[in-house]
Amino acid sequence: MVRARPSVSSLAAPLIAAAILSGCASMNDDARDPFEPLNRHIFAVNQAVDVVILRPIAVTYRDLVPDPIKTAVNNFLNYLKSPVILANDVMQGEWKRAGETVERFAYNSLTLGLADIAAPRVPFHDEDFGQTLAVWGANDGPYLVLPLIGPSNPRDAIGLVVDWFIDPVYWAARANQWDGLTYGRTAARVVTARVDTIKVTDDLERTSLDYYAAIRDVYRQRRNDEIRNRATGPTPRALGIEATFAFKEQAPPAANN
Amino acid sequence: MIDRRSLLMSATALALGVIPRTAGAAEPESAKTFINSLANDAILLMARKDLPAPERTQRFRELFKRGFDVAAIGRFVLGRYWRDATEAEQAEYLRLFEDLIVATYAGRFSEYSGETLTVLEGRPDEDRFLLVTSQINRSGGNPPIRIDWRIADGQGTPKIVDVVVEGVSMSVTQRSEFASVIQRGGGKIQGLIVALRDKTKSLQTR
Repeated sequence: MVRARPSVSSLAAPLIAAAILSGCASMNDDARDPFEPLNRHIFAVNQAVDVVILRPIAVTYRDLVPDPIKTAVNNFLNYLKSPVILANDVMQGEWKRAGETVERFAYNSLTLGLADIAAPRVPFHDEDFGQTLAVWGANDGPYLVLPLIGPSNPRDAIGLVVDWFIDPVYWAARANQWDGLTYGRTAARVVTARVDTIKVTDDLERTSLDYYAAIRDVYRQRRNDEIRNRATGPTPRALGIEATFAFKEQAPPAANN
Repeated sequence: MIDRRSLLMSATALALGVIPRTAGAAEPESAKTFINSLANDAILLMARKDLPAPERTQRFRELFKRGFDVAAIGRFVLGRYWRDATEAEQAEYLRLFEDLIVATYAGRFSEYSGETLTVLEGRPDEDRFLLVTSQINRSGGNPPIRIDWRIADGQGTPKIVDVVVEGVSMSVTQRSEFASVIQRGGGKIQGLIVALRDKTKSLQTR
């Protein structure tokens, strides 16, 4: 569930090979998860790592770091991702969105990417090469749980690697030996991504009968939604809706969790 | 994606056993009103911290049954295993399914912290369902959460048959999850019934 970046050596190929070898004897009749036994095993290992290391770090970060700093970190990460988002906008033929990415980058450069002053005019949107492959007609392929990275599939795993390689920020850091930037950025991406999902994963783990199966399906549906560019409903602004449905009574704010 | 989705919707319609009526122009509007009033009642109930917990849960259950077609959702979620089940198993499953959903949402509602719901648009959906789009507005600069309500009004009264949160359908997710539980229990619905009972108990005693 965490989109950490793999190291430059591709994780995907050996993993797929291993999955094919172990998955053949599977009795699972869900055709979309032919490697379920191996996936469940890796899922359990990832869960253990999450419980012991990642989740505690994410909770600490969420609860102890002041909101303005967290916002600035998120803004800066989004800002640094602009070239990759732009490249994928273009590869998908999404010219309007490509223009938005450029516009956002120009505006937010005034703050060195720390504040998202473009957002009121042009809200952030994400893109990645896994989505681009989908737009080009690639199927997702069998569900894969990648070590440390979490839910994926061949299409999205290739996407991760390609996004890594087309990222000028990565190459600039490498050329100038700014190792701190690459490591710090990767760590920040992992932690902030985990912070974003804590509530959902906690709720799902608590309420689901089969957490693995629930995550598998949520991942698939979320990715499809991202590929459609969240196009199930128009935004309130597009509809010209200003009035918000007002609740008659406001409950006291619950403890921040 | 589109193909799979419309296929799924057709499957939903079949599984629900509803013959959706032709949606007239007025129906999307009344569907919006329906969601608005349901959300309002839910918020009012959540704010009643003075009610003892059992009574809140009971009232929540009534509200839930008023808004949701529990039997239709339960049948859809069970998928192809519905027909394999005996009548007694179907009845017990539906009872437990309702308990699970009520316990799940009661827990979520207890974390309510003043969010608001904006109903955006009502429109005809595939297979003559109605779709109401909405969003939950959050504080602290957090982006709103997109929630779509899929509604059937085959029996003349609108009932929710699916809730789609940020593109994730609750019914579709549970369907896949329940299938997994049944398969891992040797293909027997009894395994699911036991799991449902245990999960509901653990949610209620929390």
